[in-house]
Amino acid sequence: MIRYALTRGALLLLGLFVASALIFVTLRVLPGDVAQVIAGLNATPEQIAAIRERLGLDAPLPVQYVTWVSGILRGDLGSSLLTGASVSSELVQKGQVTIPLGLMSMTIAILIAMPFGVISAMRRGHRDGTLLSVGAQTLAAVPVVWAGMMLVVVFAVWLGWLPAQGFPRSGWADPSLAFRSLLLPAITIGVIEGAMLMRFVRSATLQATGQDFVRTAAAKGLTRTQALLRHGLPTVGLSIITVLGLQVAGIIVGSVVIEQLFSLPGIGRMLVADVGARDLPKVQGELLVLTGFVLIVGFAVDLVHRTLDPRQREAE
Amino acid sequence: MLRRTTVAAAALLAAGALLLSACSGGAAPSPTATAGTPDPDATVAIRLVAEPGNLDIRETAGAALDQILVDNVYQGLVSRTPDQKIVDTLASSHTVSDDDLTYTFVVREGVTFADGQALTPQDVVWSLQQVKDNASYRDSARLANVASIVANGQEVVVTLSAPDRTFLWNLTGRAGLVLKEGDTIDRKTAANGTGPFVLADWKQGDSITLQRNDVYWGEKAKVKEVVLDYVPDTQAALSGALAGEFDVVTGFDATLKDQIEANGDFALVLGKSTDKGTLAMNSTKGPLADKRVRQAIRQAIDKKSIVEALGAGQTLYGPIPELDPGYADLESTAPFDPDAAKKLLADAGAEDITLTLTIPSWYGTTVSQILVSNLNDVGITLKVNQVEFPTWINDVYVNKDYELSFVLHTEARDFENWTNPDYYFTYDNPKVQQLYASYIAATDDDTANGFLKDAAKLVAEDQAADWLYNGASVVAVGTDVTGFPTVNTNERMNLADLAKSK
Repeated sequence: MIRYALTRGALLLLGLFVASALIFVTLRVLPGDVAQVIAGLNATPEQIAAIRERLGLDAPLPVQYVTWVSGILRGDLGSSLLTGASVSSELVQKGQVTIPLGLMSMTIAILIAMPFGVISAMRRGHRDGTLLSVGAQTLAAVPVVWAGMMLVVVFAVWLGWLPAQGFPRSGWADPSLAFRSLLLPAITIGVIEGAMLMRFVRSATLQATGQDFVRTAAAKGLTRTQALLRHGLPTVGLSIITVLGLQVAGIIVGSVVIEQLFSLPGIGRMLVADVGARDLPKVQGELLVLTGFVLIVGFAVDLVHRTLDPRQREAE
Repeated sequence: MLRRTTVAAAALLAAGALLLSACSGGAAPSPTATAGTPDPDATVAIRLVAEPGNLDIRETAGAALDQILVDNVYQGLVSRTPDQKIVDTLASSHTVSDDDLTYTFVVREGVTFADGQALTPQDVVWSLQQVKDNASYRDSARLANVASIVANGQEVVVTLSAPDRTFLWNLTGRAGLVLKEGDTIDRKTAANGTGPFVLADWKQGDSITLQRNDVYWGEKAKVKEVVLDYVPDTQAALSGALAGEFDVVTGFDATLKDQIEANGDFALVLGKSTDKGTLAMNSTKGPLADKRVRQAIRQAIDKKSIVEALGAGQTLYGPIPELDPGYADLESTAPFDPDAAKKLLADAGAEDITLTLTIPSWYGTTVSQILVSNLNDVGITLKVNQVEFPTWINDVYVNKDYELSFVLHTEARDFENWTNPDYYFTYDNPKVQQLYASYIAATDDDTANGFLKDAAKLVAEDQAADWLYNGASVVAVGTDVTGFPTVNTNERMNLADLAKSK
């Protein structure tokens, strides 16, 4: 187990290193640079050159890359060329919106997917089971933008229960207001992701129903439902953890759309703005952290699998 | 998921907007405004579209910065009024010598910066000198004619090397802003000015908060606090307004007038602006090098239908908008006439050509769709290349690697771009350059504006570019809000008179 974790950990580091190079190169392919954006319309070539030099953009690319990576190794992720703010402080600040938003959406997704997925599997062939899975298919196909807008119209504009957009300027100092600001966006992502997740739960449950050990348990006197809940569900849980791990990346991508739609000052909106301003040192720092996060989640999912699933340990 | 949402979003937004307007009738009534009882403790929330990358008023380009900081936080010796007149601000008075070379400003006494330091004539000298000496500073070139700046008691005397009738106007912009000498604040994230508001907070990616400057030298601001909320999405702005989260919505879409006015809390206000929807044509190569082709393009485009589709603004047929000196209606240089356009293309042997339009993506698709259809009618295939703004700057502005380009030029009195052969317009006519120089040097208004008019006419006759429309300032103002500026708000947004009723 330890050897396994170490190997996987080494792979993770290698992955991060490759990612850093990929991120760096890909961003340098984008046309335009921050000096041109700062100088804007009416700028002379001399003006642009002066700004470029002041920002250190005239250094050769390999030098810039080495500077960046050695900074990271010292724990410095870099800072914005526009404001001087450090990437880590910006991530911490914007994370106060995006991380709770992600957790809330995931919770909503699981709360929808687990019970309804299991029920729709157990009621397969019945009218209510079919209705559930058709409903899930439909929900999963709803575009985020439209769903968000409809929720806003009903709950913010019409009923006035929740804010239509934005996040309190005082942040989490007023937890109730902050929570309510994130509720509509979280429901928007959560319901749609939940509907997709529900289909995984349903098929995993169906698979479990057909397993030998569930049939054996039923043969030993348990009802089909008891057998499934007691012996089948743990295996369902395992496959759901894997899917959830994959969905972390999906939620990060979703936050880019949803934060724009609800004007939330989170990581997704910040990334869009930074790319739009060609603030590359900031973008590359942010992307590396996000990539690292996704890789670490994958790593953790693998370890959890290993710990929970006796079959994998025995296979070693 | 991204791809799916974008595709479906377009189709479904329309349905959503309909539902939104249907529902807005049911919104809870907001407290009715009692006109004439402004609340001195009010906070006014204003929706803005584009957030500046940083707050460096000296170096960072963009109207997004002028809009919020000039007049409100930073001031100059002189400033401009909504009807584009020049008035004394940090100068209590100024005189100009008979030969138009010496400007004497009496620096206003009793003015302090937001941090409490007093304004001195030396601060003025230092500020102007800094702009003149630092080429990387915005508008540095606009002080090129300045020979010397000296303080003399409470006066500041500026001597020009040649008469420059744009000098005072230039001082109303970035070039003339007065900062505190030796100030140690980080201009990128903070500001220390003399205006009626102080910059209280900048939550990046979210909002900027201005607060009343309680030690302001003039009439104090009528509201305690202004929150500038950056909301790029129009639907979010509309929902936010209908849910009572904004008091003013700037940069609004005029075609959504009925929706935002539906529950009686807002009134849409249209004001004039110097926004010029400029279709630049690269005349250095390809079919566009032929003036007949450029004229054909201009005559093929139905400007009235563009203005109609935008729901605001007016037609413009030359480089100077109505608010600026030198304006004349130049429609006769290229009236809408698709048949004439076809004939011009035939004469030029340019039938069946394909051209590419490079357009920053934030302008949406309304304009480019009309262009595609209008040009198709005369046999020109238009390919639309939507790009991010930095890509546009790099490809079009810096490298001049384009055929047609669309950008909204918001700056007032920017005719000088047509006199700069290196500008991305690729327009080089010595006669125009000469006329503009004569305008600058002229001492009499009528003569000067005559030169400018002639120059603008030449640019239009040379078919140097096309002007698709003169945009309007489109602002939805809460019915309990008064004093919000209406003219040219994309470039300047003086909030000194802004008030909100209890």
